[in-house]
This record gives sequence, structure tokens and C-alpha cells, in this order.
Amino acid sequence: MLEDKSNVKAWFYLAPALFLLTIFIFYPIFNALFLVFLRDYNYLQGTWEGFTLFENFLYVFRNQNFTQALTNTMIITFVSVPISVIIALLISVWLNSVLKLRGFFQTIFFLPYVTNAIAIGMAFAFLFNQNYGLINTMLGWVGLNPVNWVGLGATWGNAMFSLLVYVVWASLAFKIMVFLSGLQNIDKQYYDAARVDSTKRYRIFRRITIPLLSPMIFYITITSFIGAFKAYTQVIGMFGVRLGPPGNDKSLITIVALVYDALDRSGVPGALSEAAATAIVLFLITLVFTLINMQVSKNRVHYSGGGK
Amino acid sequence: MVLDTVMYGDEKQNRRKARIRFSLVLTMLILFGIFVVIPFYWMILTAFKTEAQVLTSPPILWLNPVNWQFSNFATAMDTAPFLRYMANTVLVSSISTVGTVITTVFAAFAFARLNFNGRDFLFMILISTMMIPGEIFVITNFLTVVELGWIQNQTYMNAILAMTLPFMTSIFYIFFLRQSFRQIPDELYYAAKVDGTTDLKYLFKIMVPIALPTIITITILNAMGTWNAYIWPRLVTQQQEFRLVSNGLRDAFSNIAGRILYNEQMAAALLVTFPLLVVFLLLKKYIIRGVSRSGIKG
Amino acid sequence: MEIRLENLTKVFTNKKTTNTLAVDQLDVTIPSGKLIGLLGPSGCGKSTTLYMISGLLKPTEGSIYFGDDDVTTVPPEERGIGLVFQNYALYPHMTVLQNIMFPLENLKVPKEEAMERAQKIADLVGIGELMSRKPAQLSGGQQQRVAIARALVKEPRVLLLDEPLSNLDARLRLQTREEIRRIQRETGITTIFVTHDQEEAMSISDEIILMDFGVKQQMGAPQNVYDEPANLFAAKFLGTPPINLFDGKISAKKIKLGQSVLGETKESPKDIVIGIRPEGFIVQKEGPIQADVEFVETIGRDTTLIMIDPTDETKRFRAIVDSDHKIEAGQSIALNIKPHKMYIFNQQTGERL
Repeated sequence: MLEDKSNVKAWFYLAPALFLLTIFIFYPIFNALFLVFLRDYNYLQGTWEGFTLFENFLYVFRNQNFTQALTNTMIITFVSVPISVIIALLISVWLNSVLKLRGFFQTIFFLPYVTNAIAIGMAFAFLFNQNYGLINTMLGWVGLNPVNWVGLGATWGNAMFSLLVYVVWASLAFKIMVFLSGLQNIDKQYYDAARVDSTKRYRIFRRITIPLLSPMIFYITITSFIGAFKAYTQVIGMFGVRLGPPGNDKSLITIVALVYDALDRSGVPGALSEAAATAIVLFLITLVFTLINMQVSKNRVHYSGGGK
Repeated sequence: MVLDTVMYGDEKQNRRKARIRFSLVLTMLILFGIFVVIPFYWMILTAFKTEAQVLTSPPILWLNPVNWQFSNFATAMDTAPFLRYMANTVLVSSISTVGTVITTVFAAFAFARLNFNGRDFLFMILISTMMIPGEIFVITNFLTVVELGWIQNQTYMNAILAMTLPFMTSIFYIFFLRQSFRQIPDELYYAAKVDGTTDLKYLFKIMVPIALPTIITITILNAMGTWNAYIWPRLVTQQQEFRLVSNGLRDAFSNIAGRILYNEQMAAALLVTFPLLVVFLLLKKYIIRGVSRSGIKG
Repeated sequence: MEIRLENLTKVFTNKKTTNTLAVDQLDVTIPSGKLIGLLGPSGCGKSTTLYMISGLLKPTEGSIYFGDDDVTTVPPEERGIGLVFQNYALYPHMTVLQNIMFPLENLKVPKEEAMERAQKIADLVGIGELMSRKPAQLSGGQQQRVAIARALVKEPRVLLLDEPLSNLDARLRLQTREEIRRIQRETGITTIFVTHDQEEAMSISDEIILMDFGVKQQMGAPQNVYDEPANLFAAKFLGTPPINLFDGKISAKKIKLGQSVLGETKESPKDIVIGIRPEGFIVQKEGPIQADVEFVETIGRDTTLIMIDPTDETKRFRAIVDSDHKIEAGQSIALNIKPHKMYIFNQQTGERL
């Protein structure tokens, strides 16, 4: 009957998922926490030289690329997320205000979501090509000299700029879709009421749209930050496994790249522990920023009404 | 909007203002629309150019279809077995999607509908692992796959297993589907119980059909995820011909010494992108609705 | 099928171990083939009782008998019941026909026969033409009928309806309740329906069971309960407009409202509540109650007077009188009382005296 517990039955239904989760999620979490405290772990032989508390983390910080990876990851995150959130917000508000052509534009703006990151990364790399790329051609139209964005010996700054354009481009689609559906969920009565009070459009946007959309903006911002901290495939897409323009290898390395770098050396004693330590550092950075984000947003997010 | 008909002040002036505003908004949408479309256009354009056309500066911005060089695709396919990669990707994506949907439907049903000891606690644990970056799992999962003997002297079967099994369930999808299941009124379950319907039958005859939009969304998201997968397949495939599209594409054009043949590269990129675009245009309604909903947290 | 509830008790245990007594030692015998209204305010335990009869909820104590069978521990699907939910619980992705056939599918009835039976029952409830529609394409009243058809198609021993009319608009509600009455008569099936609407229960039930705080207050034919309320709750709950209540007392075998004597009794002196139905007043030259008229509402043949309570100026009471009397607001009039429309209750216990 209704209140009866169906313990056996429930575990039967849960079994397939739990079986996989245990092997591929739960066990790996504990194993990572174990690996990170092993000294010179050699997985081929299954041996290690005792335990250590910080050594593996020190490997991470002493890695010659760590500072570069941290800097790049931070720049990608703190530049691309705010810019893409703002652009996506504007586009979705504009989209919401036009009736004609909305479906057409919706399709256009959603295209980047359904593409292959590597393929588009390559297209971007060629867009930014010094001699044959469209970007420099367009710069030429307004009388600017061609820039070596991603070619041989391109500076870190130029390459980073190109990468950021790609990252913003790629992250717009999802945000626009979510914001647009949020806007469409806002009760029209609020707008009618505001117009009866002859509120200016800008104020309607500031005082009604943004607050009612704020839970969604908050959610998207947090998940975007978490996603951006894990930037890696975009770099691969644009620059290949050398992670930077030719002649400036690894200049666009990210923290996740460090994890896979260490994993690629998995045969070397201690490399797996270093990979685990790097992933844990990434997790801690993500966690800290998520908590800060939540604290900052606490007083600015309105949870009643609006986009549920 | 109801109040659109109510106008204050000078009606003509208001109408002109509205028209100006509309034009401005449209201009902005077109500008950003161009920004979004340019990479696609550039990819397609380049894919049909001859090498000489690619290496023209300033670049040719429009190519008459009569002059399209289709042979780029053939050359691209000579560079690497892209059709094979696509077949691999479709296979991996189908297997992992079917597996994911099955495990997710069962688990979501247990969380949404059944009453068992430790349900809320278990659910909380699942949710809290969603915060942890995948890289932490990847390390051990790689070891597990090695341990299972799927890497050494890899057969095709082993490669497929290694690429699918770890992704045959997803906490996010369980969470997502549970939300859909919970919106189905309890009374439907009671009514079915009174009529002697078993839980399994209720799940497949009532809940699954009602939550079908969500299940379709999960299918689409999962399939697209596989199409984009790069890191894991690269780690666990030992032979060229077992790889998926992303790896194949990247590898084919990474190791060439000297000049990059951009037209071939873009032809290959277009080859990989095209099926996705077709699927998108066919299932646009479902994808847009599903993705927007998945972003609204339940 | 006679249904007997013996000492039926339901305690809900919350996680924080707070217990709620939803149904308290209910003893009821429901005669076979009747339409029974289970009536009470929300939270009185009537739905819980219905769900226990259906088998969806397990009683904490007590037993349920269908005829001579003790069904207390029998699972719902083996009890032979049909259940109609407040929100109908139609399967949204199935057509009307599929919805009605669904219970038969579980009973492994051959498809041909199932379709025949579905059509027959659909015709009975008057939705025979709508078989290929989906629930979303039906009006509330039609959905209700589909739900009833689905409950009846497996020929249950008992039909249970949980607030069957509360999701319908006023006009449909009237029409549908007649419909339920008719279907019950034609099928002769023992039917129990839960409602908080006294008018609804009174209009179609053969008998009503009045509940409050999980306890049976009174059971009987609607008019009997109305005419002879067992306690203050029953008197208050039935009747629109509601009964008028006055604080009075008994002294020297006389029922006294303030200084006026309203009647005689054998009871010993005590504080009482006097209940007088609005239609229990007669306007006369002289009477025990002398009061001021505040408002007069004349609707058709009846006139409703809103009167100022002579014993307490802050209170009002209502009298429905013949519209032949030309009465105006501000007037002071004398009222006499029809003895059978007046009840007295113990002020402490609410018991009828």
C-alpha cells in the first residue's frame, strides 16, 4: 500500500545506475583522494614509497607551466563569462521583443550549440590567419594593419584574444536559449502594470526584467564559471595539442591541460598522483569561486515569481 | 500584449518611435547574427576553395557554386578515415545513449516514485557529486579501463566498451528526469494501483510516455555530447581507426609538417559538422525546448 | 455490497515523530446499493477514510469488511473497487477509449470484449461519442465522466469518488451530480463519495456520514440529519444560510434567551447554545424575540432579514420570512419561533439536549 516501503524493489530499480556510478564516479573520487597522498606511485607495478601529505601538491605548484595555466584559466573564466552573459542577456531581450523573425534568429543563435568544438576551433584558427583570414581582411577595411593572431610566433596576447573570441562565441547559444525561455515565462502582467505606470523601457529592463530573471542569471553564471574553469577542448580545437601558436607552444595551457599532461606520463612514478593533485586543486578553485559567487548573489537574487 | 492598443499622447509620434526601436533591435540582432554565422560561412567557403584560392590575399569572400571544388572532401577522406570515425561516433553515441536512457529511467523512477530507506540521503549524495570536476574521475577511470584489459592489444569491442560503459548513466539526467516524473500527479499512480497495475508496467505505460519530451532531450544532449567528446576517446583508444570524429579531425591536421592545407582541413571540419547541423534542423523544436529546460534547473 | 468499518483508526506518523490522528475509531455500516455522502470540513479525515476503504492507505487499527469478507489487508487491486479522483487522474497520453480499457488490460480481458465493455460503459455515462479524443480535448465535465467510466468498467463491487465535483463550475456541478445519481441508480452499485459541500451531499445522497476531527458526528438520511442534528457541529454544518446560534440558558425548566422565554424543557439548569434555523422564524404582532431589522433582502418569494441580536448588539442573525410582510430596515419587529426548527445544545459538550 501507499506508505509501505519498497526497499528491495527500489534497489532493484537503482541497481544499474548505482553499479555504474559506484565504479565510475564514487570509487574514482575516493581513489583520487588516496592517490594524492601516495609518494611515487607506480601503477604499472602497483607500488609506492609510503605516504605524503603535500608532496604531490608541491609537484603541481612547481610544474613550470602551472603559473601560466592558472593565469590562462583565470583570464578565460573572468573575461569570457561576464562578456558572454551580458551579450546573451541583451540578445535574448532583443529576441523576445521582436515577433517577426524570432524563429529565424533563434535558429541562427542556437547553431553554435550543435557543432563540434574541434571543427569550429579550426575554423576560428583560419579566420584569424594572418594572411588569408577574414579577421585581418576586415581590419584592413577600416585601415588597420594585419595582426599575427595565431600564426608562427604569435604573441600570447594575440593568441589569447583569438581564443577568447572563440570561447565567447561558443558559449552564447546555451545562455541565449535559457534566458529567452526565462523571459517568456515572465508574466506579461508585470509589463502591462509597468506600462500603465508609464515606466520607461530602460527602467522596465532594470527593475522588472533583470530581477525576475535573476535566479536564472545566477544559475547560468555559476554553471558557466564552473565550466570555464575547465577550459581545454577549445584550446585544442584552435591550437591543437601544442596548446599555443606555433613557436609559442603551451602558452595557452590550462589547468585541465595539466591534468591530462600528467595523465599522458602515467607510466612515470608519481605522475598519476600529480594528475590527481591537479584535479583536486582545480576542484578547490572552482569551489571557492562558486561559494564567493553564491555569497555575492545572495542579496541580489529574487526567488519569487518570474522564471521558475 | 493587451495594452499595445492603448496609446497615450501623439499616436503618430509613438508609432514612429516604435518603428525606430524595432529597426535598432533588428540591426543589433543582424550584427550579432553575422558574428555567429561567420565561422560557419568561413568553414563552408574554404571547404570549397582550391588551394590557390585559399592562398589568395585578400581572401575571396564569395565563391560561385559553379566553381566549387568538391574534390576537397575526397582528399580530406584520404587524409584520414572520416567515414569510419563517423561510424564509430554513431555507434558509441547510440550505445551510450540507449544505456543512459535505460539506467536513468529506472533510477529516476525509484527516486521519484518509490519509498525506500535512505532515499533522500542517497539523492543528496548524488547531487553533491555533480559539483566535482570530471577530471577527478578520469584519472581512476583510465586505470580501471586498463585494469579491465581494454587498452592493451585493444580490439574494436574493447574500444567501444571503454568509450561507452563509463557514460551509461548520468547523475544530471537522473536529476532532470526525476523532476519530470515528479510532476506527474500522484493520483495517476493510485488509479493505476487500484486497477492492479505493476510498478514496471506503470513506469513504461504511463510515466515514460508522459515524460517523453524529457527523455528525448536526454537522448539529444547525450548524443551531442558524444559527437563532441575529445578527451576520453583520445585517452582510451589505441588505434587510429577506433577513434571518434573529434580526435580524428584533430589528429589528421596536427601532425602535418609544413603548410596546412586549409581547404582540406575545412572540408573535413564541414564533414564532421554537417550531420549535426542536419540533425539540429530536423529536431530544432525538441532541442531548443529541451536545452532551455535543462538550463532552468528542474 | 454492504461495507462495514469497525473501529477504523488512522494515525499518520511524521518523520519528526509527530503523530496526527486522522481517523478516530470509526464504526460505520454502509448499506448495500446506496449512494453515501461522506461529508465534513477539509481535514476531517473523510478522504483518509475513503483511501482506507480503497486499500491505498493501511488502517492503523480496525477492520474493513466488504460483505462478510475482511478486506483490511487485501491490496487495492484485489478489492474490486472503482476509484474516481478529484482531479480525475486520466492518463494524458491515452485516448478516452484507452483510458477506459486500461483497467481491463490488467485483468487480462480479451481485447474485443474489453472494447465492447468500454463502449457500453461510455454510452452509459454519455461519452460514447468521444472515444478517440485525448483528455486535454475534453471539458471538465466530460473528463469527469471518463473517470467514472474508467472506474466502472471493471464492474467493481464498490465505487468510491473523492470530491468528484469540486473541479467543475457551478452549472456543471448541478448537472453532473444528477448524472452521478442516475448512474448509481442504473448500476445499483454501492457508492461512497467524499465532499465538503453540504448542499452537494444533501441533494444526491441516500445517506450522509458527517465527520469532524476524524470522528463520526452523525449518520442518516440527509433530511433527518438536517431536521434532527445530533450535535452543534451537525447543526452548524448543514443548511444554507447557516443556522443562527444564540447563547442562552436553562433555568427553571425554561429555555431563556436573555429575558425572553423561547420554550420549555425537562433539562436541569445550565448554559446552552440555542440554534434556530433561518426559516424557523415567524413574523407576528407579538413574540418572544423583539429585534431591530438592519437589512432586508427580497429575492422572489422569500425575504431575508438581517436582524440585530437583542442580547448582543454586535451580533447579527438571519431570518427567512414570507415576502408578504412589508418590512423595512430600521423597523423593530416581533418574531415567534417554530418549535421544530429550534434546537438546544450543551454549551460545554455541544451535545443536543
